[in-house]
Amino acid sequence: MKRTARAALAVVSVAGLTLAMAACSTPAPSGDAEGPLTVWVMGDSGTNFEKLVADSGIDVDVVAIPWDSIDEKLTTAVASGSGPDILQIGLSKLRTFADAGALLPLDDELANYPGLDPANFPEGVSGTATSVGGQIVSVPWTSDTRVLFTRTDILAEAGIDSPPATWDELRADAKILAARGDGNYGYYIPQWDAPLPIEMTWSMGGDVIDADGNVDFDTPEFQKAVDIYTGLYADGSVPVNGDFDQTQGFISGVAPMLVSGPYLGKGVADSAPELDGKWQASPLPAGDGGSISLFAGSNLGVWYNTDQKDASLKLLEYISQPEQQLAWYGMTGELPTVTSALDDADLNSDPNVKVYTEQLKTAKVLPLVSNWDGAVGTELLNALNAIVLTGADKKTSLETLYSKTSGLSIN
Amino acid sequence: MRNKLTPYLFVSPAMLLLVTFGIFPILVAAVISTTNMNISAFANWGNVKFIGIDNYTKLFADPDFWQSIGNTGLFALFGVPAIVVLSLGVALLLNHSQNGFFRALRAFYFIPAITAIVAISLVWGYLYNTQFGLLNYLLSLGGLPPVQWLSDPTLAKFSVALVAVWRGTGLNIIIFLAALQGVPKEYLEAASLDGAGEWKKTFSIVIPLMRFAIFFVSVTTTISWLQFFDEPFVLTDGGPLGATTSASIFLYKEGFRLNQFGYASAGSIVLFAIIAIITLIQLRLRRADDEY
Repeated sequence: MKRTARAALAVVSVAGLTLAMAACSTPAPSGDAEGPLTVWVMGDSGTNFEKLVADSGIDVDVVAIPWDSIDEKLTTAVASGSGPDILQIGLSKLRTFADAGALLPLDDELANYPGLDPANFPEGVSGTATSVGGQIVSVPWTSDTRVLFTRTDILAEAGIDSPPATWDELRADAKILAARGDGNYGYYIPQWDAPLPIEMTWSMGGDVIDADGNVDFDTPEFQKAVDIYTGLYADGSVPVNGDFDQTQGFISGVAPMLVSGPYLGKGVADSAPELDGKWQASPLPAGDGGSISLFAGSNLGVWYNTDQKDASLKLLEYISQPEQQLAWYGMTGELPTVTSALDDADLNSDPNVKVYTEQLKTAKVLPLVSNWDGAVGTELLNALNAIVLTGADKKTSLETLYSKTSGLSIN
Repeated sequence: MRNKLTPYLFVSPAMLLLVTFGIFPILVAAVISTTNMNISAFANWGNVKFIGIDNYTKLFADPDFWQSIGNTGLFALFGVPAIVVLSLGVALLLNHSQNGFFRALRAFYFIPAITAIVAISLVWGYLYNTQFGLLNYLLSLGGLPPVQWLSDPTLAKFSVALVAVWRGTGLNIIIFLAALQGVPKEYLEAASLDGAGEWKKTFSIVIPLMRFAIFFVSVTTTISWLQFFDEPFVLTDGGPLGATTSASIFLYKEGFRLNQFGYASAGSIVLFAIIAIITLIQLRLRRADDEY
């Protein structure tokens, strides 16, 4: 009896295994050319996207992808050859996606879709600014930038009349604000914010890419940025714990100044309406090079082997209309990328939004180095945080950074 | 003839599973580790080149790799004794009685082992939080300054390991309790008649008889510490400054974040070799089972 049972079990498991393997080797269906378009939307905006395209006349199947699982998702989709038709790409991932061959080059197509003409979008993010290998592989979708947020009530109490306009002023003001004592700080540096030192370098008038397109941190401007970054810690103006909550810190006034994106403004307005009028956004502090911030946000690309290229481009053109872009801002608070929408008078009637749109005019995208986040961003943060958190030697840490990032380039 | 084939027929399902999901992937990883394979390989397989042992030479010169190996060694060195001693101690205490209260306690100790790691990490993340965490609140009641549980590179190692110990004891307590049931009552009664006290009985009879259970728990715990991944991944993501980056986290980041499949495969082969060697040593050290 027992023997029969075991034999049966063996047969069942072998059969199951065979089935499983067969399932693995069957290519996933790539979607009927008439079927709905599959769109990967990042974060929790899936439902909003369905609403946005409801009247487009194009059938759309939205898949929401969490921000932090995009790398794994991309790897499996590229490896299996079955991806979406359209996907949203954070600008810092654009190069990685293009290198993986996941994106369809669009140069030859754009002429047929006047709504997607690079001239419709800010120079900092369209056309050559986000081309990879000389090819346009995406169209701008939402924009995002970094500006200075300040609690004007707390600054006024400390005798500071207006938000700091330069990094040196910011450091001095932060020191005054930190002197309030009782666990209060003047400024907050997120330990995961890799673009911040880059924004500082740009504002100091420098760049992290040399004339040949290689990553180069060994510049006087980057040194100045490092001095500000480490100086804020040396003054005791910033919290040292990595789990500091920036929105709570801003609302409670523990960290009354910080550089962040429009999402912070939205978070504060939503969760602390009583603070209305007691805080404001102002341009990123300037250095010798002016106030140059980050052009973040997302682009949209078409999957390399989609069988619905025309429908995909039609949908992209539909959502690139100024009215759709403004509707999207209304739903999610994500800023438009089409220049005419960014210039919209209604949009700019909010003084904070006016700051964002002004900042975007000079903002730049992160260098399109393959795997910027993982290779350069991580090393940059490791070097700077080692100096400020563990007291590592500045010169040694920076030299490690130079050697680890040498050989990387945007070419 | 029929009899000769029968055993093979019975082991074949297990063998097939082992070969498909155990041995075959290791061989694939070994092959990939000699190439420069990265994500561009998916775009065009022609981008994959054979580069011999370059990945291994690069790996052995990579300070991040050594840091992760050092962290893993440290975790195993302190984590294995902590889990074995703690589980054994709790199991011995729980074995004192079979009444309802003790049975409830058993369930209580087993709960961490069956709770989802994400839920655990959320709860512990809040306990450890520097600004709002319960632990720092308790410290503040005693007038003590806040502690950077997960932000201080040295302390973060301890904090992450503590969660793993807390989570790892549950299953091992059950294994030890089962082994305790197997200690013959006659031996204990005979010892009592001879005038042996509780301590003497525990150390001279119970623990030696549980040698196999202790050995089993040590081996499985060692392997799980060498593959330490879940807790640092969800609590600190390997930070701050790589202080909690275990070998597995290092491999995961190289492979799935940086898409350096060849390099990560080389690392996984090295980790595999280390685990295999340590397990072989443990097997060697164990003497043949003595029977009393």
